[in-house]
Amino acid sequence: MTTMRLRGGRVIDPANGVDGQVRELFVRDGRIVTPAPGEAAGEEIDISGCIVMAGGIDMHTHIGGGKVNLARLLMPEMQRAGPNPIALPANPLELASCGGCTPGTLATGYRYVEMGYTAAFEPAMMACNARHTHMEMGDTPILDHGAYVMLGNDELFLEMLSRGADFQRIRDYVGWTINAAKAMGVKVVNPGGISAFKFNQRKLDVDENHVHWQVTPRQVVHTLAKALRELGVPHPLHIHGSNLGVAGNIQSTLETIAALEGLPAHLTHVQFHAYGTEGPKKFSSAALQLAEAVNAHPNVSIDVGQIMFGQTVTASGDTMRQHAQSGLASPRKWIGADIECEAGCGVVPFRYRDQNFVNALQWAIGLEIFLLVNDPWRVVLTTDHPNGGPFTSYPHLIRLLMDRSFRAEQLAKLHPDVAANAALNSITRELSLYEIAIMTRAAPARLLGLKDRGHLGEGAAADIAVYREDADREAMFTTPAYVFKDGALVARAGRITAVPVGGTHFVAPDYDRSIETVLRKHHAAQGSVNFDQLAIGHDELCSCCNGGRLLPAACFERST
Amino acid sequence: MLLAGSECPRARSGLSRFGAALASAQPKIDGVACDPAAAIEAAARILANSRQPLFGGLGTDVAGARALYPLACLTGAICDPAGGAALLHSLRAMQDRGAFTTTLAEVRSRADLIVCIGSLPHERYPEFLRRCGIGEGGAASVIALLPASSPGGAAADGIEIVCFEGDLFDAMALLAACVAGRVAINDAAGSLGALAARLKASRYAVLAYEAAQLPAQGALIIEALNRIVSTLNQRTRAAALPLGGGDGASTVNAVFTWLSGLPLRTRAGPKGLEHEPLRFDATRLLEERSVDALLWIASFGTEPAPPTADLPRIVLGHPDFAAAVQGSGSVFIPVSTPGIGSAGHLFRTDGSVLMPLRAVREDGLPSVADVLGRVTRALQGATA
Repeated sequence: MTTMRLRGGRVIDPANGVDGQVRELFVRDGRIVTPAPGEAAGEEIDISGCIVMAGGIDMHTHIGGGKVNLARLLMPEMQRAGPNPIALPANPLELASCGGCTPGTLATGYRYVEMGYTAAFEPAMMACNARHTHMEMGDTPILDHGAYVMLGNDELFLEMLSRGADFQRIRDYVGWTINAAKAMGVKVVNPGGISAFKFNQRKLDVDENHVHWQVTPRQVVHTLAKALRELGVPHPLHIHGSNLGVAGNIQSTLETIAALEGLPAHLTHVQFHAYGTEGPKKFSSAALQLAEAVNAHPNVSIDVGQIMFGQTVTASGDTMRQHAQSGLASPRKWIGADIECEAGCGVVPFRYRDQNFVNALQWAIGLEIFLLVNDPWRVVLTTDHPNGGPFTSYPHLIRLLMDRSFRAEQLAKLHPDVAANAALNSITRELSLYEIAIMTRAAPARLLGLKDRGHLGEGAAADIAVYREDADREAMFTTPAYVFKDGALVARAGRITAVPVGGTHFVAPDYDRSIETVLRKHHAAQGSVNFDQLAIGHDELCSCCNGGRLLPAACFERST
Repeated sequence: MLLAGSECPRARSGLSRFGAALASAQPKIDGVACDPAAAIEAAARILANSRQPLFGGLGTDVAGARALYPLACLTGAICDPAGGAALLHSLRAMQDRGAFTTTLAEVRSRADLIVCIGSLPHERYPEFLRRCGIGEGGAASVIALLPASSPGGAAADGIEIVCFEGDLFDAMALLAACVAGRVAINDAAGSLGALAARLKASRYAVLAYEAAQLPAQGALIIEALNRIVSTLNQRTRAAALPLGGGDGASTVNAVFTWLSGLPLRTRAGPKGLEHEPLRFDATRLLEERSVDALLWIASFGTEPAPPTADLPRIVLGHPDFAAAVQGSGSVFIPVSTPGIGSAGHLFRTDGSVLMPLRAVREDGLPSVADVLGRVTRALQGATA
């Protein structure tokens, strides 16, 4: 295979410490290579005046699975252009697929790639819905993908924890579940709270007992974080904390960090978990407290879950909190479900309004968190698509973070109390391209344990985004000049040029297989699914994922 | 073929359709046996000559639906499954007001009261009660809410019948009003008032319904049901359990929804991607002759037979359907059944679990996905 040379571009590759130097990149067989002496490139592309980064990686975006599809079913009115249907794609490589906050999987792939992203991770896969989730991700073209399986609200885990089962058995159950669902990690959502809602409990603080199982979120979080550590899963426990959206929930967030007792974990969409109770409206920013805690706990990473103004739909596994918030649904309808003694879901349409005090403050809190945490390697840029806003708003968000005067202009348009009093007013930091590259590719790759992604060093996958330099960073990041996936040109100037099938990232931790005896007994009693049908094999995963490549990530050596 | 671990008569009857003669089934053009390549060519020709095709039946699995979508985009076909009206009852009620649902494992381990609205599900879903844990240690009382005028179906042991006068629309409206406290629960409210009191007293109530058994405008009944669930969830726990979507309907709906962003009764039409819950009704389109070609997919053998409309028809079906596809302008292509002759995936009735289906024997027939892929390529070749 011939070598391709990209020449003249300024490379920003934080994983390798490269910050804007003009360097040539050579690509052969889908990888970044060092050319042999005298080797001529078969193809050369002049990218002078461009910034080169690894392909973007979104490590928390609801792109596939049951609740995402429910959101699509619920919101057909979003998929019109006024009185008319949404026009068919002009590009013959694309099949018809709607966009916006409930995009079809096809549009999800096209729009991410046009923006320079080459991988996306679904954060909330139910084990019982794993095949469906992999099917949707397999039908998301071009992007590599993976998913975190949800635990911590399943009756078996809570029952084991409640009766004081041997920790090793719980760990093996976690390992079995990751393997059966072909997951990239584990997410816990409102630890214990989704289950508690099924027992009619309406609130669950970090040290409050689940009304039936008599275990606390603190125990759930600590046990799962420890299990993943012992299993050697590269991505640590992915935590959607207790009391999402509740004024004063910063307390729960800090208690959750404390529950880790130094174990590594990733706190997701922290914007929704950083609220205080100060001020006349008893709702205030706790971004500073959160940032101080993150700065003080190197074991913790975060993604922000920035909100964007406009219509969206929130799709979450947190049935307890979504039920509580359902009165705010706009339009006034929502879907909830209790699912298989294992999980739940809540889909609530939402319109964030810039003249609404709470929404305006949420916007400011997200930006404050981005700008107050010192270490960009522990902050990932997300809107928790579609919960805070659709992923297509990332270029706008990047401009807000990089351009202080633009940020001030936007802030001034918001609810007057927020515009006048937000701490954001006094934050002068502007993120650099280097920091943006960390938050959108290098850090997520590192946090997921993807050794050959998120950077442009020798041997890395040739997932490359080439952006034409533009002082308007929103314009620059909206339409990269070139996007390469595994060395193939997949988008040029905002137009899809090839539609390969993406690969599936997953981990395969070791665990004691005798746990299957316990699981077999449990499923026989529950009687819903034949135990032998639960685990997804490699061949079946391949067919679910549309024949895309399987990309197992290595686990690290056990620490014990 | 043997059925293990279940006494389900429906499964037994389904399996009886798979005799030894299947593998010898042949494609036919105009009722005359032909080779597979000729059938593919003929199918592509019918679609190429059609100004507005209809894709109906849609009795297939995830792989079949994945292969169908590009062909639907290429031809601008309107897609509506057999039983589309029932599917749309639930969907439209949800799109208007939302819903709160549950799944079989939750019902089995949590429900203390199951109310079947308007019909006796076990008549069509023989495993329904067992799957809800009834008779197997489950703790739920089961009530069926039926019209007083009903012919009196065979109530299984342990099902209590609550009757109402008049129609189900009024009965559900009254029940909802009683549950919400807008109508006093007293003697005047009768049996519905008593039922409302039991719903309010239950810890976890499940309201099960079969959309296919509901009358025209059944979405209104489902909306009332969803409203009752919503009211109960203010103080106790409750959820709806929709039953239906079999023979591939809910599976194809799910796949089209994720690929395109819009549920069935859709078309990639000249103006764009359209979702028309009322206009794109296959039965009506055929009656009004608003379509000029039909592609009917029925790979399970349990679907309705292909409609006998007077237009060019392509049928991809279980070999038993061959006899129903005769005459000029017809193409029949026998296909394997997911879970019998080929592996596949189907959504369970409660929508959260995608079940893997394993092939139990080689029947030599192509899958729906294979055939659709070949038709699509033939059509692309013809129009290139």
